[in-house]
Amino acid sequence: MSPPGVYEGTANVIAALMLLLEFGMLRQALIRDQVRLYAVQSALISVLAIVIAADRDLPDLYALAGLSAALKVVAVPLVLRRLLGVPASEDAPGVAGSYTLNPASAVLTCIGLAAFGFFCFGSFRISGAAAPATALAIAGAMVFVAFGLMIVRRDVASQAVGFFSLENAISLAALVVAAGLPLILETAFLFDLLVAVVVFGMLIRAHHARAESLSTADLTRLRG
Amino acid sequence: MSAAVPIPVIQLLQVLTVALGAPGITGVIAKVEARLQGRRGPRVLQPYYDLAKLCRKEALAPERASWFFLAAPLIAVAAYLTIPLLIPVLTTYGLPLGYMGDILGGGFLLSLASFVVATAALETGSPYAQLGSSRAKTFSAITEPVVLFVVFTVALLTGTDLPYALAATVRSSAGQVVRPGHVLASAALFMVILHETGRIPVETHTGTNEFGMIEEARSFEHSGPYFALLKWGSELKQLILFTILADVFVVPWGLASTQRLGAVLLAIVALLAKAVAIGVVVAVIDNLFAKLRLFKITEYAAAAFLLAVLGVFTLYVGGA
Repeated sequence: MSPPGVYEGTANVIAALMLLLEFGMLRQALIRDQVRLYAVQSALISVLAIVIAADRDLPDLYALAGLSAALKVVAVPLVLRRLLGVPASEDAPGVAGSYTLNPASAVLTCIGLAAFGFFCFGSFRISGAAAPATALAIAGAMVFVAFGLMIVRRDVASQAVGFFSLENAISLAALVVAAGLPLILETAFLFDLLVAVVVFGMLIRAHHARAESLSTADLTRLRG
Repeated sequence: MSAAVPIPVIQLLQVLTVALGAPGITGVIAKVEARLQGRRGPRVLQPYYDLAKLCRKEALAPERASWFFLAAPLIAVAAYLTIPLLIPVLTTYGLPLGYMGDILGGGFLLSLASFVVATAALETGSPYAQLGSSRAKTFSAITEPVVLFVVFTVALLTGTDLPYALAATVRSSAGQVVRPGHVLASAALFMVILHETGRIPVETHTGTNEFGMIEEARSFEHSGPYFALLKWGSELKQLILFTILADVFVVPWGLASTQRLGAVLLAIVALLAKAVAIGVVVAVIDNLFAKLRLFKITEYAAAAFLLAVLGVFTLYVGGA
């Protein structure tokens, strides 16, 4: 098996790190740490954009990297923290213990999901001029793990973070498959994320006001 | 410039380097650890003095224990001293006995050593020793899949499972070093090593607190020279695992590529330096993290398993 080039290797390692961070979010008990991991993951995708821009000579991507860093590394985590009122909500009931499975089983289940995503996307055999096939497969795995995160954790905060990292996974797939996409389209995707943040913000607020908890576990109970 | 060293002598030197260097590495780690905790710490040579002192002491065995109780430390040390023959300790080229066994062979020897020590602990009838061996066996069953997947990664990367072949593959190009499959497998192996040397997540490797004891508890009933052999054995195991991590996975540079005396001596120094570097990293990690409760081991093992499985995935799909 001949080794891939250094550029492909770097892109793949960054993608793999993003997937690991996704698992980190799954494992993390505190909202504050989940948001921090999300920020790191977003920073990684900006770094990947810069790597691709440098390798394939696409100056547009530098602008995209800057925009997505400003939005996803700074703005979204800031808004999320503000919304969740982090200092107050650390002892909010039902967030640390919002697992439906115990952490080890959750990780093992999500390894299974990741395998499914990995082999599905891997079997597309998309190999453009410089698109690392592994990075695409990892993006597929990330989509499934993000879904897993939203299913396994029963609190609105994890579900919001899971949704935003889902967007990261899709950006990753877009970057490796179609790096030459016009800047205006990529920016439009980023603004979609802003809309999602606002919608999730409203949902979190409304849920917290009604249920006095961030946990969604008691939503299944009938209330009169 | 310098004379060529005969191959059998190099082969012997591999074993001697590990055998004589191991207590020193433990001493350095203990010193670094003490410094990190703001203590002066024992001398670096303290493990050698400990071994010498224990060898002069009287050996006692429990009344009902059979001959196996006394034979076990000898078998364990013999197994540990065989492994340096199989892995690249000093040379980039395979030595004649290096092909007696592959990575699995080395793994079998490590498990054999651990098995005989656990069985000897069962012989004693002492509750602590039995608790230690039962825990050690349970947790090694949990980390076993991780090691298997690391071996799979090696097999996918090189097409063989010879440690020399992987080291040569890693040296061959920079592209190999940044392959995610390789990076993930190395990280998984490092986590297993942290667990196996009793650092993370639950054990205090020097302590006698029964809540966190796994490996330490097994040698409770041994004394005198036999206890010295067990201590030396665990130091050997630590250096062997560090050597596998450094010379096969992470930094297989600095090994002798010729038979020249200078190159071989340099390789000995390089190996010990690499082991000390890993030891310092391990000590820092050990001191940065709080010990977890015993049943949290499954979560730690799940994390290591995740790394190893992802390593195999990335190799399988993209060949990356």
